[in-house]
Amino acid sequence: MLDADFVVSRRSFDVMAQLDLARGERLSLFGPSGAGKTTCLEAIAGTVMLKKGRIHLDGRLVNAARERRTWALAEQPLEPRERGVALVRQPTTLFPHLSVRANVTYGIRGRALFGDRSLEELLDEVGLGGLADAAPDSLSGGQRQRACLARAIARPFRALLLDEPFSAVDAASRALLRNVAIDASARSEAIALLVTHDLAEAQAFGHLLGIMDEGRIVQLGSTVDLVRQPATVQVARLLGYSSFVPHDSGKLWALHPDRFVEGAWPERGVALSGRVRSVQTFGPRFACELVPDVGALHTGEAASGASRLPRAAACSGQAVVRVHVDTPPRVGDNWEVTALGPPLVESRSSGSLP
Amino acid sequence: MGRLPGTAAVLTSAIVWVALLGPLVVLLFQVSPHTIRVNLDQPGALDPLWTSLEASAMALGFMVVLGTPLAYLLARGRVKLARVVEAGIVLPLLMPPLVIGLLLIFLIGQAGPVGRFVSSINPNVFGVNTMFALVVAEFYEAAPYYIISAAAALTTVDQRLEQDALLLGDRPLSAFRRITLPLAAPGLATGIAISWARAMGAFGAVLIIAYNPAGLPIDIDQSFIANGLTPALVVALLLIVAALPLPLLAFLWSARARGRRSAAVPVTVSL
Repeated sequence: MLDADFVVSRRSFDVMAQLDLARGERLSLFGPSGAGKTTCLEAIAGTVMLKKGRIHLDGRLVNAARERRTWALAEQPLEPRERGVALVRQPTTLFPHLSVRANVTYGIRGRALFGDRSLEELLDEVGLGGLADAAPDSLSGGQRQRACLARAIARPFRALLLDEPFSAVDAASRALLRNVAIDASARSEAIALLVTHDLAEAQAFGHLLGIMDEGRIVQLGSTVDLVRQPATVQVARLLGYSSFVPHDSGKLWALHPDRFVEGAWPERGVALSGRVRSVQTFGPRFACELVPDVGALHTGEAASGASRLPRAAACSGQAVVRVHVDTPPRVGDNWEVTALGPPLVESRSSGSLP
Repeated sequence: MGRLPGTAAVLTSAIVWVALLGPLVVLLFQVSPHTIRVNLDQPGALDPLWTSLEASAMALGFMVVLGTPLAYLLARGRVKLARVVEAGIVLPLLMPPLVIGLLLIFLIGQAGPVGRFVSSINPNVFGVNTMFALVVAEFYEAAPYYIISAAAALTTVDQRLEQDALLLGDRPLSAFRRITLPLAAPGLATGIAISWARAMGAFGAVLIIAYNPAGLPIDIDQSFIANGLTPALVVALLLIVAALPLPLLAFLWSARARGRRSAAVPVTVSL
């Protein structure tokens, strides 16, 4: 169980977080580079000093702010070796002078590996079979990440902290390694935190999803709810919502390019009509830029008559709406699309917890 | 035209290399095996060698034991007023060795309260012109080289590796021994090599506070004044033979260790 409320000082801004995770709960921290996600992990691991606050893991203090050069605390933070923190960093931190075997069994000192597995079984599990005696320098980036994960889960832990642990691994292996990490944290009944830039990975790993930006967790919730109902424009943008349409309440509809259907279906969401400005291939699909016509916005609330808006306002400063579709229209065509059930978000950029 | 700068660089490099090694080559040609044998066969001829080896080994031991923790704290930025501390370490390098010797009289001679206290413990062991004085003089002349090299070597070790070792169950000293030390070893070896050579060749400060027991540098001075150039060259050769192998071996090992680490080629394995 994690009980954390802390501030870490960084050059550009303070990183602050309040986290409360139950045993076995997994949280994915998602956000742009430099948002403070890694700092959060390091604070929980106790490898950075806190400016304020304290962090408890299973009721035991693992990190606390120092006051006036002394620990002005009745309770002393645990020594690193007693914290039960398994940390996988990015870039990887294998000990370069030790083999994969020596890295994975580091600190185990002859005891059995967690889960009563042999080293070979563990290495097979993470896809490193036959590489026990390899030197870290001879491994590829993905193999080093696998070795780091193996080292982290080779012993029991209270917290599994993963910082972009699969970034150098191919998509298929990524799912496999993610499941290995999930199984290990479930067996340990430990909390697990994953830091990632990949939204799909964040959703697949965590029970909870936390969106971080500029040192703050701007929204925290279940992965499904949060993606469907971002609280602010800031969070919506981070989750891939690309266009925003004003609503009578002063809030904005957030439009996601992957959540459009062709045709005008006002009862299902926000319908837009306009001229297609460009069509680009986007993987197996197409990204079309639609320039909405003046007064072309229709919603299920159209009966009120309040949803006819000028073009400039309709796109929140952008003159186009980006839509992903399977069958593209031609440039210059008049076209109608509907954003399915778009969430209403706060228009202010700095969000708050829902 | 394009090759001219490259050729000039090779030529100037060759000149510098030959100029640096020149005196050593001359020494080998100036001293015949017969002269070496005659001079070294004299009774007590090797005493300065043993004195120098003993004193330098002790000075090196103190440097490593006392200097490594300081170098580590400097490397990890855990020293308050680090710039002041670094300046203090560099100061003996900037001062003429003779001046260091004169100032050390206050530390272990009768000229100051500290020296009087140290000498009072046992003047035959801790006073000037003792093995202790020789070790102190060599320490002052050589320790800055070790501390600076060691701090530079320890700075290159990624702090996150130490943190990971601690999280994986190590105590701090164990993490230092198992992770930091092996990774910094090439740089530390270079520091040890340089400071060993400096300690073996220390003369200025030694001349003032440790003329006796005479080590090899003092013996060179005495031989030159008493018997001329040739006997002094024999002792010089002895000093070079005694002082250089360790630095050369350390340098070669360090270069090889660095090369081995950087030359490793990633292996692609089908996943």
